[in-house]
Amino acid sequence: MRWMILVIAGFCLTTSPAEAAHIGIPCSSCHRHGGSASNPASRVNRASGCTVCHRGHERVFDHAMGQRIGEKEFVQRSYARFDSGFWDKNCNSCHLKGCLDCHGDGWLAKPSVAACQRCHNGYFTGWDYAGRAPREDNMRYQRGIAVNGATFLKMLPDVHYSAGMTCGACHSMASLAKGEKSSKGCRDCHIPSLKVPEHRISAHLQRLECYACHSAWAPQEYGTFFLRFRDPAMKEDFYLKPGPSAEYLRSAYLKKQDVPPLGINAAGRISPIRPMFIAYYTDVMTARNNGPENTLLAAEWRAYFPHTVQRGTVTCEGCHDNPTRFLLEPEARRIYNLEKDGMGLESFWLQQGQRMSNGSFMDTARYLRMSSKTPAYTKAYVAKWKTFLNRVENSSRP
Amino acid sequence: MLAAGCTPAPPTSTCVACHKGLESASARHSDCVACHGGDPQARDKIQSHASLRGPANPSAPETWEEACGKCHRYQLERVKANIMQTNAGMIRNIQQTWEGADGKEYTTRGGKAFDPTGKAVETVPVAQLDNLSGELYRKFCSRCHIGTTNGDSYAAAHGSGCAACHFPWNETATYEGNDKVMKGKAGHSANHGMTPLPDTQVCSRCHNRSGRIALSYQGLYDGNNGLVPTKSGEAGPTMTSGARNLTHITPDVHFAAGMECIDCHTSREVMGDGYSYRNMYLQTEISCEDCHGGAAELPRYREITRENDEALRESRSYKQPVTSGMRMIQTTKGRNYANVFYKDGVVWLQGKRSGRLHRSKVITGTPEHTVVGHRRLECYSCHSHTSVQCYGCHTKYDKAKAGMDFINGEETSGAFSETEDYRMLYPFPLALNQRGRISPVTPGCQTFVTVAEADGALSKAEYIAKFKGAQQLRFAPFYSHNTGKKALGCVECHGNPAFLGFGQHIVESNSIKGTLICERSDRKPLDGFLTMTNGRVNAYSAITREHARPLSGAEVKRTLSVNLCLPCHDKARDPIYRKGINLRALDDTRHRRLLSDY
Repeated sequence: MRWMILVIAGFCLTTSPAEAAHIGIPCSSCHRHGGSASNPASRVNRASGCTVCHRGHERVFDHAMGQRIGEKEFVQRSYARFDSGFWDKNCNSCHLKGCLDCHGDGWLAKPSVAACQRCHNGYFTGWDYAGRAPREDNMRYQRGIAVNGATFLKMLPDVHYSAGMTCGACHSMASLAKGEKSSKGCRDCHIPSLKVPEHRISAHLQRLECYACHSAWAPQEYGTFFLRFRDPAMKEDFYLKPGPSAEYLRSAYLKKQDVPPLGINAAGRISPIRPMFIAYYTDVMTARNNGPENTLLAAEWRAYFPHTVQRGTVTCEGCHDNPTRFLLEPEARRIYNLEKDGMGLESFWLQQGQRMSNGSFMDTARYLRMSSKTPAYTKAYVAKWKTFLNRVENSSRP
Repeated sequence: MLAAGCTPAPPTSTCVACHKGLESASARHSDCVACHGGDPQARDKIQSHASLRGPANPSAPETWEEACGKCHRYQLERVKANIMQTNAGMIRNIQQTWEGADGKEYTTRGGKAFDPTGKAVETVPVAQLDNLSGELYRKFCSRCHIGTTNGDSYAAAHGSGCAACHFPWNETATYEGNDKVMKGKAGHSANHGMTPLPDTQVCSRCHNRSGRIALSYQGLYDGNNGLVPTKSGEAGPTMTSGARNLTHITPDVHFAAGMECIDCHTSREVMGDGYSYRNMYLQTEISCEDCHGGAAELPRYREITRENDEALRESRSYKQPVTSGMRMIQTTKGRNYANVFYKDGVVWLQGKRSGRLHRSKVITGTPEHTVVGHRRLECYSCHSHTSVQCYGCHTKYDKAKAGMDFINGEETSGAFSETEDYRMLYPFPLALNQRGRISPVTPGCQTFVTVAEADGALSKAEYIAKFKGAQQLRFAPFYSHNTGKKALGCVECHGNPAFLGFGQHIVESNSIKGTLICERSDRKPLDGFLTMTNGRVNAYSAITREHARPLSGAEVKRTLSVNLCLPCHDKARDPIYRKGINLRALDDTRHRRLLSDY
């Protein structure tokens, strides 16, 4: 493989390496392997060329991005019950193959937000950071600006994104190698100001994740459908966005991107939650032969951190007078009639028949306690609105 | 009424000989020739059919003068001026959305008519509206005009003229009656039995787009369009025209109680009252208050004392015709309902087709409905369960493709296609309507126009038309016809600025920021028309209709100020709401003590 090393060396010398750190390092320091292991950044050899210096970073392959255990286990307990090849057909495009998956832009550069978003897009956290929410799957809604062929609804981007911060600012390589979700939490940089009325309520600071209030919006998919077409001709009447598999089309009963529901995360703190996934399966051929369809395979929610942080929040009522946000929807406020559509659930916003995969739903008694109008609540509430209204003008601009 | 339509068919008619089993239109419409024309003695099909009116549908505008009009002159003259026939409102609104009005009044067929003041007006046929808005009407919107047949739209097919409403059409526009000659033929009503009282399905054939009121009323929703859940392996759960799937939502309380469209809507609304109105909302004569009363005024009624009272004639086909001496409830325009009456202190509504009696709840004088600040609210501002909103209507006109002109009956260069950004049901924004009352509003329309010339070059790209002098999107006052069992709660509306027109949002210091953003601007919300920046309210979109507008900064502040009272005074019947809110009360001793520690 001497010729290959020469080609790579030539390339190194004729381009401008963005990373000055690699200039002057002998080619063979990285490219010391030959044969099929000639790619020094490949997962196949655990990035042996890179880890000579970047010791321990190969451990990233052992964690979430490399293994995707959570996703695999979900598929195993849901769609794989009907199609053992489901994972390979529908989920394999975001497979970490080596260091260059993220560091390949601009020649060994630190990953840009766009580099992370090559995988962290669509319903997965990352796209939201730049103000992108998935559109409905019907081609009627597949319009407008697109990145890498994927269209999105234009949303308010995260304040950190607007300030020019990349994902790496909070998700260092060291933290990823350790299998940690991030290297920095909100309070590593921010001290909650007591000038903010909500911050003066101790329960808020003790029991809530910062992002329970400061996530301005979150993509939410209610009823994820995978439709299996053993014969592609059967897709004819399904005017839906094509996916990675010729055998499948994906759709949803409903997508929303307003403030997310709340639940309790694994740390016991109140956090945004979202369906991941309320999963349905139809094998079109079977269904056309009077077989089962719209089989509800899972109704699972996850606590998570939408990357849609803003200084502002919803008003007090957004949580304290909003049982639906805790999946305690009163029947009088029900809009979608799932039972009539044979969806196997009474409502997406009712806890019955659903579960949290990394935490728990808020129980009714706790919600009632939280929403009771105690004197303390009333005082804080009035103070909050007074502070706001005192600074609102009577005039307006048409 | 003694004309030929009411006489039996001649026994030797070759019509009956060939069309054996064809349903009689009605007991009083049994003579084929009186309506259809033709030669009932000729044995040859071509000769027999040579002088047919229609040929299949004599009630179409081309022949309705000689057919239905011979007997039903009063009804025909009304229908000719009816907004569903003239489509004056639809055409006018499209003009305003696309190119701006040109000073002329257009209708489907043009001609003389009388405006509501009795003044003669001359309208121009829409065939002469030679611009993009004319094209859009003729190639898109005119499918729901009662003067043209739509024989090929799944679940939206209808006949032309009187038959549009008075003959039953099925999803596939196929005859399924007992006449073997016609059986299975497409482009016809499901059978030949006339329906004097159209059911909700008839109205749904057209009122399933734009405001989609017939869908919302029945608890159906065509948003999202995910084509799931499937039904027997096909897109589902129920399909309708335009490859849209319908899922279920909570229906309107009136629908749930078994009421149909015509149980509220009078024949003068659906068939016209003889005057030519500029917009649908001007032809409408009913309001919630007619049956339920207003805050201070009870429903009004008038006794039937004359034998030519409209209600007596109109109720002839009802299960239970009304009789002289009954006290009939009056519409907002002061005319009698033919099915709503006052008896023993109760307002009753009779289902016109079912005969079922519904007791109307009268709210006059109840504390919940005499909140001082709510004097300007339309009932359906609080009582709408949902209000459908279509955000971002991106319409492309491609001159390289041919499109069918349904008014001129020919295919011409230029075809329309449409994509959309986002659909939602709740929450819904409120603004001032043409009556100076606060009403739900819905995008109407947020049209972004793209025009591709024959060579593919774009002469317009995502263009926003001028309205009231500025390039701006528009919202229109709207009653969704999805009335809830329970009204919105006080906090639900006052505490959520989305109801004031801010869209989905966050509150940051003294600013309110939209989170769903217009593609054409980084500052403007797509799903709203207001923002607040440093305490100042800015309005971005227009509210259509005369005198309509978004709430002003002062009104926004006043609405949000109620939140200072709501944590303690959370019921509308609280006495403090019987008079104007005095926010200085918060400074009195009692309130100061309550609020002191914070």
